[in-house]
Amino acid sequence: MRILPRTAESGSYAALAGLAPKRRPSLTPYYFILPYLVFFVLFRLGPSLAGLGIAFTNWQAVGTPRFVGFANFEAMARDPRLGDAFQNTVFFVLLTVPTLIVLSLALALFLNQPRRGRAVGRVVVFMPYVIMSTVVGVLWTWILDKDFGLLNVYLNFFGIANVPWLVSESTAMYGIILTTVWWTVGYDMVLFLAGLQDIPHELYEAARIDGARAWGVFRFVTLPLLAPTTFLVLMLTIINSFQVFDQVYVMTSGGPGTATLTLVQYIYTTSFQFQKFGYGSAVALILFGILVIVAFFQIRGYRRGLKGVE
Amino acid sequence: MRKLSLMLLLVALLTGVMALNAQDVVTLEFWGGWTGPDGAIMQQLVDRYNAEHPGVQVNLTVQAWSPLFDAFIAAASAGESPDIMAMHPQETAMFINLGLIEPVDDIVAASEVFQKDAYVSKAWELQFYNGQMWALPFDLGIHGLYYNLDLFEAAGIEAPPTNAEEFLAAARLLTVDAAGKHPGDEGFDPANIVQYAINMHTNHHGFYQWYALYNQLGGQLLNEDATACAMDIDKAVQAWQWLQDLVYVHYAAPQGQTDYARDFITGRTAMLVDGPWQIPAMIAAEAEGLRWATAPYPTIFDKAAVWGSGHNFTLPTFADPTKRDEALAFVEWLAANSFDWLASGQLPIRNDLIASEEFKELPGRQAFVDMLPNQVLLPNIPKFSEIFASNAPTPMMVMGQRIILEKADIRTEVQNACDAITAILSIP
Repeated sequence: MRILPRTAESGSYAALAGLAPKRRPSLTPYYFILPYLVFFVLFRLGPSLAGLGIAFTNWQAVGTPRFVGFANFEAMARDPRLGDAFQNTVFFVLLTVPTLIVLSLALALFLNQPRRGRAVGRVVVFMPYVIMSTVVGVLWTWILDKDFGLLNVYLNFFGIANVPWLVSESTAMYGIILTTVWWTVGYDMVLFLAGLQDIPHELYEAARIDGARAWGVFRFVTLPLLAPTTFLVLMLTIINSFQVFDQVYVMTSGGPGTATLTLVQYIYTTSFQFQKFGYGSAVALILFGILVIVAFFQIRGYRRGLKGVE
Repeated sequence: MRKLSLMLLLVALLTGVMALNAQDVVTLEFWGGWTGPDGAIMQQLVDRYNAEHPGVQVNLTVQAWSPLFDAFIAAASAGESPDIMAMHPQETAMFINLGLIEPVDDIVAASEVFQKDAYVSKAWELQFYNGQMWALPFDLGIHGLYYNLDLFEAAGIEAPPTNAEEFLAAARLLTVDAAGKHPGDEGFDPANIVQYAINMHTNHHGFYQWYALYNQLGGQLLNEDATACAMDIDKAVQAWQWLQDLVYVHYAAPQGQTDYARDFITGRTAMLVDGPWQIPAMIAAEAEGLRWATAPYPTIFDKAAVWGSGHNFTLPTFADPTKRDEALAFVEWLAANSFDWLASGQLPIRNDLIASEEFKELPGRQAFVDMLPNQVLLPNIPKFSEIFASNAPTPMMVMGQRIILEKADIRTEVQNACDAITAILSIP
């Protein structure tokens, strides 16, 4: 059965374009993205390209960079802190991504039902996302305080002794993960909500007439039709999770010990605090490589997934 | 049309006035990391200066020290700098090495305010690196011992502890569980302690304290030319052991503490090791019934030593050279008016201030000032940040947090830190 409705991806726009009279491509749309483009080139693309070169130098931000070939990359092999940062980041990604996907999907499904107060519910879930990361960090440092934190007060209520959250190597990363989930789940939820609203009602009706129960409807209608959105959310969440920084910087600075040291935190620390911009750029290049590989597999999976659905 | 020409005239006039102003008023950019209540006091000083000197406009920029230094370096890479940059004496080598600050020997030679004899000698000496003077001294801050007078009286302790023996005796009496029992008493319950004797830093002040205790044992951190770790492992272990035992053996300090001043003010701890910058908070807490006093940091081991730091002013290389005179005049004014800065709790370093009657009337300072000759600063080296930075996983932070928070094996952590330090210093 072909259940995917024709959308922009399957070429309906292309068909429309064919009908339109041929004319020179207009520059107008580009004027609209020009302000963003200027910032993108000046503050994203430019520095990224510069970083590519800096990675092969020894540079302290002042003075002339000295070319050192692959020395920065060789130094990585002898750097135990980098190993810590890599391990912690992967751990963070492995725990945060599934939690965020499942939770945001569940919230989207729940808040997609026609029920009283759902607008308020959506706002409540999304609201943390608009708070500045530093504020989130300070707020959760208080919530997670071992002795007087709100979370432990609630846990005490259920007879659970004070959890040392941010002041123990074994729990600090969970504190960061908890904060991250609270902070960003609303964003993923909104994407899922948009995806859910694109699914035509007739399909649900048809499934129900065929005798499908709630789980069956979810498994064979919602989930497959939501696949493009799920892939998008998955990709964004993985990439964002690999780049976790703000919460860590504000809440733990990578500590206690090296328990919450992540790759971007380490890049920032080596570059700006230790003035080793060459080495920092080299590590950033490695992170970039990881993200490219992740994105490559995801885009491939996305295409295959689409084909499977069709 | 008439409206338009009127507008144009107005604009022209305004521009003219502004241009005139710009010519008359010298603007000085002044950066410092005073994010606590001390920031407000510095702003008041700056405001007063601006009011008294119509030809100069000082703009104070305050953000936390670490991002402030990042911004200082980033600005310098673009050839820009503030006109006056505040920092701490142990950080100057880092910026000297980067070429971001200039020596002040000539300026000092010509200055009537910055004269060696007018200052506590320690404060003066700290501004030197490789035989040159690089910064203008402003204040010092060291650890001291705050104690709660009511809790001391309740425990029957007459004087604050000065050595290890007195300290442990007092700590036992000041640590109380829910049943009113002390450590060592029959049935004492470490899981239900309601009052601890003292705080235990889980942040960078943890290794600051260790550094003081290690110095009390006569230990040295780096070799003479600062190219390798030169720790005496046994002494380093002994110093950490004292701190770790306070938490895990004597139950005198809480585990995993986060807000030291608050715990002292609320009576959760009877003593507090911290800097003089907590004095304003203590004075404010008197309204809540706190009765407090200060004592010198105790000498636990062989000789007196206490962690310290301070503030100074540097003149950045990339600052506008034509504003140098105004910048210097402002800093001289600050130094001459540094009595007002003492409201921040920081310690005076000018001899006339220390000897003055008005200083003696300020509460809590004397115990700190008495200990000034014993202050030890972290080594002023170009790679300071890589070894000592407080908000990064530096060898010192990792060692301290693992020992204090995780009860890690001290010898292993000390050895790891020493190896890491040598590795950092061995790279040119």
